[in-house]
Amino acid sequence: MDKSLSKEPMLEMFIFENLQLLEQLEQTILAHEKERCLENAVINEIFRIMHTIKGAAAMMMYDGISSLAHAIEDLFFYIREFHPDEMDYSKICDIVLEGIDFIKNEIGKLEQDQEADGDSSPFVENIGQYLLQIKEASRNSKLINEAAARPAGHRKKFYISTSKSPPTESIKRYHALIYFTPGCEMENIRAFNLVHKLKDQAEQIDYIPADIIENNDSVEFIRENGFAVIFSTHLQQEAINELFMKEAFIDSLDLRVMEDEEWEIEQLRARNQIVLEEEPSVRNNEVREIGANLHSGSTRQSLISVNVDKLDRLMDMVGELVISETMVAFNPDLRTAAKLDNFHKATRQHRKIINELQDIVMSIRMVPLSMTFQKMNRLVRDMSKKLKKNVELVIIGEETEVDKNIIEHLSDPIMHLIRNAIDHGVESPGKRASLGKPPAARVYLEAKNEGGDVYIIIRDDGAGLNKEKILERARARGLIQKPDSNLSDGEIYSTILLPGFSTCEEISEFSGRGVGMDVVLKNIEEVGGTVLVDSTPGQGTTISLKIPLTLAIINGMRVKVGNSIYILPITSIKESFKAKPDNIIVDPDGNEMLMVRGECYPVLRLHQKFQLKSALKKIAEGIIVIVQNDSGSICLFVDALLGEQQVVVKALPKFIGKIAGISACTLLGDGRACLIIDVANLINPSKG
Amino acid sequence: MKSVLIVDDAMFMRYTLRKILEKNGFLVVGEAENGLLGAQKYGELLPDIVTMDITMPELNGIGAVQLIKQINPQANIVMISAMGQQHLVREAILAGASNFLVKPFSEERVVEVLNSI
Amino acid sequence: MSEILDEAVLQEEDTQKGKFLTFLVGKEEYGIEIKYVTEIIGGIQAITEIPDVPEYVKGIINLRGKIIPVMDVNLRFNKEARDYNDRTCIIVIDIDELSVGLIVDNVAEVISIADADIVPPPDVRSGFHNRYIKGIGKIGSEVKLILDCQRLLSTEELENLDYIN
Repeated sequence: MDKSLSKEPMLEMFIFENLQLLEQLEQTILAHEKERCLENAVINEIFRIMHTIKGAAAMMMYDGISSLAHAIEDLFFYIREFHPDEMDYSKICDIVLEGIDFIKNEIGKLEQDQEADGDSSPFVENIGQYLLQIKEASRNSKLINEAAARPAGHRKKFYISTSKSPPTESIKRYHALIYFTPGCEMENIRAFNLVHKLKDQAEQIDYIPADIIENNDSVEFIRENGFAVIFSTHLQQEAINELFMKEAFIDSLDLRVMEDEEWEIEQLRARNQIVLEEEPSVRNNEVREIGANLHSGSTRQSLISVNVDKLDRLMDMVGELVISETMVAFNPDLRTAAKLDNFHKATRQHRKIINELQDIVMSIRMVPLSMTFQKMNRLVRDMSKKLKKNVELVIIGEETEVDKNIIEHLSDPIMHLIRNAIDHGVESPGKRASLGKPPAARVYLEAKNEGGDVYIIIRDDGAGLNKEKILERARARGLIQKPDSNLSDGEIYSTILLPGFSTCEEISEFSGRGVGMDVVLKNIEEVGGTVLVDSTPGQGTTISLKIPLTLAIINGMRVKVGNSIYILPITSIKESFKAKPDNIIVDPDGNEMLMVRGECYPVLRLHQKFQLKSALKKIAEGIIVIVQNDSGSICLFVDALLGEQQVVVKALPKFIGKIAGISACTLLGDGRACLIIDVANLINPSKG
Repeated sequence: MKSVLIVDDAMFMRYTLRKILEKNGFLVVGEAENGLLGAQKYGELLPDIVTMDITMPELNGIGAVQLIKQINPQANIVMISAMGQQHLVREAILAGASNFLVKPFSEERVVEVLNSI
Repeated sequence: MSEILDEAVLQEEDTQKGKFLTFLVGKEEYGIEIKYVTEIIGGIQAITEIPDVPEYVKGIINLRGKIIPVMDVNLRFNKEARDYNDRTCIIVIDIDELSVGLIVDNVAEVISIADADIVPPPDVRSGFHNRYIKGIGKIGSEVKLILDCQRLLSTEELENLDYIN
C-alpha cells in the first residue's frame, strides 16, 4: 500500500471495521451453533465477512490475517456452492471461532502499535485438510465439477464466427499482439474485456489463447506470449491503435494489417483451439441469493464514528455554556435596571434551547451495553465446554445505556465476575442433579436504570458463597479487625473484594490467582461506582455493580454554611423553612429530631458534619431543608439558601478520594470551586 | 475534474479508495454500501465514473451494473474484484462494466484505470 | 515521521534531565524535577475546604476550569503550619495523570544538578525522618533536598500503615 497516504486513520478504520465484523460473526456463530445445520443466510454471511476481511488485510499487507480469512472463505465457498452432506458442524464452528480469535489477536497487536506478525499457517493447513476431507466425502456420494473454484453452470460450446464475408476495399484485417502491464492481474479477463469492446467495431474476431474465459491458466500464456487478436474492421489503423491504447494496463501493442493468406492461416490456427463462450446471461440465482436480508446491511442505521475526544470537548463546552448562560441571566448589572420583561422572555427561550442542547449532547455519549453483554456469550460457551458444565447465560436489559467512557471499564470486571460464577459458583451437572437443581445452570446478566445510577447485576443459581470459609480466610489474612458478632453478612461477603483474598485452593485456568475481586472493585471505583456482594448458601450469589450516570448538569440550590457554599441537588429538596427551636427534640443519645406535620425527621447539622466553625449554630437563625430519596428523608440545618443555579458536575480529584456526604464538585460563576452534597449518603451513611 | 461514486460494502475499502481518488484529482461525490443503494445513488448523482465492488449484500456488483446501465447506457463502471473472481468479472463486463481492478491494488493502478475511462 | 518526533522528545527529556525547581519550605530548600512541574501559581487564591481529609490537604482550587487538590507541604512534612503571605506559591505537579498543587513558602529558581552531585538521603538511623526525600543535591556549598514526588502523593492507606509503625 502506498506509504504516502497517511497510515494512521486508515489503520484506525481497518481496526474499527474489522473488529465490528468479527463481533458480528461471532454472535452469529454462537447463536446458530446449537442448531444442527447452518442456513444459507448464515453460510453467506460467514463467506462475505471473511471475504471482506481478506480484502482489507491484503490491502494492508497483513498476510497472516488475509491467508487465514482466505482459507475460511474458500471453505465456505465450497459449502455454499456444493452443500456437502458430510459436515461436522461443531468442527466448522470451531474453525470459524478459532479464526476469529487469531484475527482478533492480530488486530489487538495493531492496536498496541505492534506488528501483526502472527503465523496463521497451522490454521490454514488445518482448514485445507478439512476441506479436502469433505470434498473426498462428497466425491463418494456425487459427481462434482473438478474446477471447484467455479460455480456450476458453465457449458462448453463452440463459437462460430457469423460473418464470413470476404474483405472489401474499406474493410481491413488486422493482427494485434498485446502485452498487458505486469502485475495488473487477471490478464485473461482483461483480454476478454478488449475483445468485448472490439465487438462493436469489428468482426470475425479470433484470438489466441482462445480459452481466456474458462481457463484461468491462460493468464500465464498471455503474460509470456502476449494476447493475439485478429479481426476485420472498417476502422483505420490509427483509430484501432487509439482504441487499444486507450485501455488501461496495455504495456505494448503491435498492430499490423494482414494479407489474405496470412489471415486465413491465422484464422485456422485460432479456430483449432476450442473456443468457448457462454451466453451472456445474468447469474440470477447468485444475485437473488446474496440479496437475502441479514441483520446487517439495510437494517443498519446511518452511523458515523466520532473521536471520543471531540465528544469530551463538546461536553465541556456545553457545560461552560450552561454556566455562562446563568451569568448572563442573573448578572448583577441587571439588578439596577427596571422593567426587563422582554429580556427575561429572551433568556427563558435561551435557557430552553441550551437545555435541549445539553440533553442531546449527553445522549450522544450514551451507548447501550449490548455489545459488552453479548461478548459474554462467547465466554460462557467456551467455559461451559472446557469445564463440562451446562451453563446458560440470560441477558436482561442490554439496551440500558451508559456513558462511553465508562463502558470500556466494565468489560473486564463483568467478564471476571461471570468467570467466577461459572468456575466457582456453578456446580457440576452431577452435583446439581443430586441437589435437585435444574441441569442447566443459569447466569443472569442484568442491567437497569435506577435513580441516576445504572445497576449491573451478575447473578448465578449455583452454590453461593461459603460464609465460614470466607471468614476463616479473612481472619487468616488479617483482613478483618471487628469481632465476628459485629459483622453483618454483607460485610463478611464484602471481604472477598479486598486485595490478597482467595479461598480457591486450585488456581484454575480461568480465574487465576487472588487478584480477581479486588481488581474488579478497583475498576468499578475508578468510574465512581460501588460493588455489593450478596449470597444465599446453596442458592447462588449476586454481585451488583452500581455505576453513576455520566457527568451531568444538574439544577442545584446554593446553600451557605459558615463561609462555605455547597450545592444541594434540587431534585432532592422537598421543602425548606425556618424552624422554631422548641420543635427540636433531642433523644437520649443526643440526636436532634424535628416534628413536621406529624412526621419525625432526624436533623443533621451540616456545620457539624463538615466541621465548619464559622457557621450559625442557633436553629432559629438558620434554615431547615428537608431532603429525601428512596430510603428516607432528613432535615439539614444550614445558614441560608442562596438561590438556584445550574451546575456542571465534576468528579472530585482522585487524590482526594471519597468523602462522606460529598458526591462531587463544581465551579461557581465567580470562579470558586464548590462541593456538591451527596444526599443519599447523608440519609443513609452505610450505603451510597 | 471527474466525479466518482464509490460502491463497496466495506467501510475500509470505501475510505481507502476515497483517499486515493481525492489525492489524485478526482471528486468523490458519493458512497454506497450495497448494489441497490449504489444504483439509487447513481440516479441521484449521475457521476462520471462508478467504482463497484463485486461481492456485496442486497444486490451484488453485477446486478448493480445492470441497473445502472438501464439508467444510463453510457455509464462508466470500474469493477473492484478479488483474485479468483474471473467469472464474476466477466459477467460484469458482459453486463456493461468498462474495466476492472484486482485487489489488493496500488494507487498507481487505480489512477491508471480511472484515467483511461 | 514518528522517529523524528520520538527523537525530539528524547532530546527534550535529555535537556530536562538534571533540571530542578527549587523552593523554600520553612527554612529548608527543596527541589523537584522540572519534568513534573506543569505550572507555578504565584499567590494563594481561594481554596475550597473539604471535610474529612488529612490536615495537609487544604482543599481544592479552580485552575482554569480544572479542579485540582492542593497540599500544604509544610504540614505534609509534619512541620508547623505557616501563614500564607504574598510570596506563597502553588507549584502544580503532574504525575501519572494526577495533578496536585503544592503550597510552598517561596519559589526560588531552576537549577541544574548533575547526576553525580546527587547522593542518597541519610538513613533513619542518623535521625533523618523525611521519607519524601529522594536524594540530596549539592551545588557548591549549598544543599538541596530532592523531593520524591510519587511518595509525596502516595495514598492514605500507605500513610496509615506508616503511622501505625
